[in-house]
Order: sequence, then structure tokens, then C-alpha cells
Amino acid sequence: MSSIGTSLLRRSVIVKETLIHKSDPRTKFIFFLWISIFAYIFYDYVLTAIFLIGILLLAMMGKILKRVLLSVAVIILPWIAFGVPILSVLFPWNSTLMFKLEIFGWQIPFYYEGFAWGLTWPLRIGVCITSALLFYLTTNPASLIALLFKFKLPFRFIYAFAAATQLIPLLVDEAGTIYQAQLSRGLRTDVGIIKRIWNFLILIIPLTLSSLTKVQIRAIALESRGFSAPVNKTCLYDIKFKNIDYAFFIGMVIFTLILIYIYIIYGFSPIVHLKQYFIAG
Amino acid sequence: MKNVLSKEVVIYFQNFSYSYPTKRNVLIDINLKVYKGEVLGIIGPNGAGKSTFCKSLNGLVPHFYGGTVKGNVIVAGMDTLEHTIAELSTKVGIVFQEPENQLSGLALTVEEEVGFGLSMLGFPRELIKERVKEAIEKVGLKGLERRSPFELSGGQQQRLAIATILAMKPEIMVLDEPTSLLDPIGKYEVFSVLKELIVEGSTIIIAEHEIEELAYLTDRILFLKEGKVISLDEARNVLSEISKLKEAGIDPPSITELTYLLEKELGIKIDKYPIKLSEAVKLYSEVLKIK
Repeated sequence: MSSIGTSLLRRSVIVKETLIHKSDPRTKFIFFLWISIFAYIFYDYVLTAIFLIGILLLAMMGKILKRVLLSVAVIILPWIAFGVPILSVLFPWNSTLMFKLEIFGWQIPFYYEGFAWGLTWPLRIGVCITSALLFYLTTNPASLIALLFKFKLPFRFIYAFAAATQLIPLLVDEAGTIYQAQLSRGLRTDVGIIKRIWNFLILIIPLTLSSLTKVQIRAIALESRGFSAPVNKTCLYDIKFKNIDYAFFIGMVIFTLILIYIYIIYGFSPIVHLKQYFIAG
Repeated sequence: MKNVLSKEVVIYFQNFSYSYPTKRNVLIDINLKVYKGEVLGIIGPNGAGKSTFCKSLNGLVPHFYGGTVKGNVIVAGMDTLEHTIAELSTKVGIVFQEPENQLSGLALTVEEEVGFGLSMLGFPRELIKERVKEAIEKVGLKGLERRSPFELSGGQQQRLAIATILAMKPEIMVLDEPTSLLDPIGKYEVFSVLKELIVEGSTIIIAEHEIEELAYLTDRILFLKEGKVISLDEARNVLSEISKLKEAGIDPPSITELTYLLEKELGIKIDKYPIKLSEAVKLYSEVLKIK
């Protein structure tokens, strides 16, 4: 079997011996939820940017910074590049003028509300994505499956999740074989867009049919091994909280208290104050 | 072949007939008993009902496929119509043709794959570990425990499939053409494991196209054609029915066919056709001496 048969999960996880890798997946998952919720509670690009930098520091500790930066850059940089200027001009609730820019003799006004909204949202999404990647890229598949068991999710869901990630490489492999078979039977690749769509269809049909057959065979094999037995399944993996996890939780509690304090004193949007400073000059 | 078979019946087909929802009369009025410790080979052309026969042993037919059934199949004292596939899975283990497609997809390593069935049945983790170790050693996959099942060769994957069944310690092992998609080395690996299981006294049902191997492995052979039993007898007797086999499109063992042709050509009477190489050497030595 070629290396494509190796699980996608196995290849996705960056295997290192860092504190982040060693921590329990539950801790990382709770951190993902915790920081995402706070990123949404506070409508503040400064605070959200601080969250993002904090996660990137953790990603650096976990030696996955490059991969996380690449993924997040692809999503949030185009948004900032196009969204912020457009919203600064056209956001419906724009009222606080920052400056005017002369373009081709036109005076274009740039407003603070649109600028802040346009900057906060990609940063919020960035916080969610980076914290999710921090969890996903530093958690090995066995721990991930154990986590799903711990969360007492229905076994069929756990199986669907784990099997999909294991079997996708096989599907890709098969698609390659079918494509090569079509090519050797004279399928042309130097064609226009319509023909290319047609080529795609003649790849998809045999792939779907063969996948359905294989699914049935696998279902039979699974049933023969007690898949539908109405008992609690035994999870073959184990996960345990360690000192690093407790330290992480203490850190989250401290930051939660600080953020609650900020919320009480400044409200959900410290931007309000920044805006006041801005207006004050 | 064992000279004396146990008298304990572990499989009992009683007037069993089956039709799939989309295909009628796949098995017709099957009546047979299989005894504990027996190795039963199943032969027949494509569409004879070999796979359906195998799947009726653990309740896949009819519970998974639906369709209509007449008669009963009693396996290890359990009526397959009255028990679920999960209940039957500890009594009957099935190994299928395609090595890769019977991998669970959930297990990340060989040892986890072997323990998959037991974990589905909720066995305690310690017991699973013990059984997994035992099964892996039995099929000769020691040293590959931490490898991904998808990285194994076809022969290794099929041995892994056998190990997954062995770990569940079923009373009966069913192998549905386990070597048909394997290369010669893979076939050799699988048959070697089977020979060891036979020596240990396991009850084995094996549908196989490698008829020459069946001559070495089986006590009796069931010859199916168009869903009906054509013959059910000792392996030698069934494999010696050359014209019947040829008529159904099945190639008998080469040495058996050669003996049949020589008998005709030389005009001599041979009482017992050889089905194994050693028997053929002995017979031909005698014939050559006479000539």
C-alpha cells in the first residue's frame, strides 16, 4: 500500500514533544471555546488582536507557528486588505469621520465605525481559526478519538469522524487511479472549461459507484464485528489531565477575572474609549 | 484431513432457501451439518451462492440484506433468524475477500484494528490487550503492532483480518475467498495461518477458488451450483468428480485431472484419484513400475 493510505489525521498532526502537545486535548478544546467566546463578547480590535497574538505565542511554543500563520493569513489578510477600506467608506452606521482621501479628484470620506467593524471581524475569525488549529494540529488522532468518547458523543458520530479522516486518502488514491485509467483510454486534458467539467463528471461517477460498493463491504465487515451491538463501546485510548493542564486552567481563570473586570469597567467594547480618544484628537 | 470427526454439530442448515430482494433463489433447499473441528470447503462457479452461504452463517443473510428466507440455520445452538448479527459475532467470525475494505477505518494501528471487534462488544480494555497480543502472534504479525493497517501488504492485511476474528474467539471461522485478491506470497501467508488454525482444531468454513489448496486443507467439500448442493462429501470424493466439476466450469486439481486423463488414455482402472502431490507421486511410481 502506498503512503497515501496513511491516515490524513496522522499526516496533519505535527508530531513534537512540546508542552502544548503534551497537554490534554480537553484543555485545548476548552481553551478554543473560551477564547472564541471572549473574542465575540468584546467588540474590540485591540483586545482581539491581543488574543490573536497570545494564541500565536502558544502556537510558537507548540512549534506550529508557520502552519498556523499560513492558514490564518490566507483567510484574514484578504479580508483586511479589501474589507477594511470598503467598510470604512460604505458601512451603513458610519458617523465618525477619520479623514478624507482624494482619489481621481473625488474626496472619499473614511469613517471610524466601518474601519473598526472591518478590522474586528477578521481578527475574531482569526482567533477562532488559530485556537482551533492549535487544538487540532497538536492533538494526535488517538487522543482526538478518546476526547470524543469522553464527551459521550454517539458512537456513530465518532466513527463517522474518525473513519472519514482515515479513508479520505484512499478515496484520493482511487480517484487518481480512475483518472489515469480515463487518460489511458484517450481522455483529453487540453480542452476548454465545459469539456473539463464533463471530464470531472466522468471521474465522479465511477468514483461514487466504487465508493458505494466499498462502503457496503465495509459496513458488512463492521456489522460482523459487532458494530451495532447495543452496548457501551470500549475506548482503546486514554487521556489524563497533567500539571500543565491545571496550570493552563489556572491561567484561564485569572484571565477570565481580568476580562470580567474590563467588561464591568469599560463595557463590551473598549473601542468606545478609543473612539473618544480619537475624537479628542 | 482428520480421520474421526467430532459428533458435535455446530452448524445445521435445515431446508434453508434464500432470495435477495433483487435476486431470487440464491440458495435453494440447503440441508447439511458441520461438526466441531471440521474444515468444510465450498466450491462452485461464480453465482453459485458461496458468499451467500457464508453470510447466512452469521446472520448477515437475512438481517443485513433483507430478502426472503425459508428454513433455518442453527449456528452454535443459535438460530440465525432469532439472533442479531452482533450476538452471532462472538460465535461466527467472517473474513472477506477484499483485505483493505474490511478494515474498520477507526483503528490507527494494527493492534487497535485487532481489538476493534472486542471494543465494539464492550469488552474490558485489559482483556482486549491480552486477546490482541495472542491473535497478533498467531497470525505472525508480531513487530507490526504499531503500524497503520493501511500500510500493510495485501497478505498482511488479510492476516490482520483473520487476527481481528481470532481475537473474538469465535466457535466457527468463515473465510469467503480470502486469497482471491492476493498475490502468490499473500496467498502463501494466508494459507500458512489457516494450516496452523486447522492443526489447533478450529471449525473452519472456507469458500475458495484455489481448489488445489482445498485438497490439503479440508475434511469435506460442499459443491454448489446455482444455489443448489451438487455434492457434499469427503474432499477426495468431490474433487474426483472430474466431469461434474469441468461441466460447472471448475478446474479440478491438476494432478487429479491428469490421473483421470491417464486412466482413460492407458485404459487402466485407478480406484483412488490423488488429490495431493504426495499421493500422485506414490501412484505414478506404482503405475510406471507396472508399465
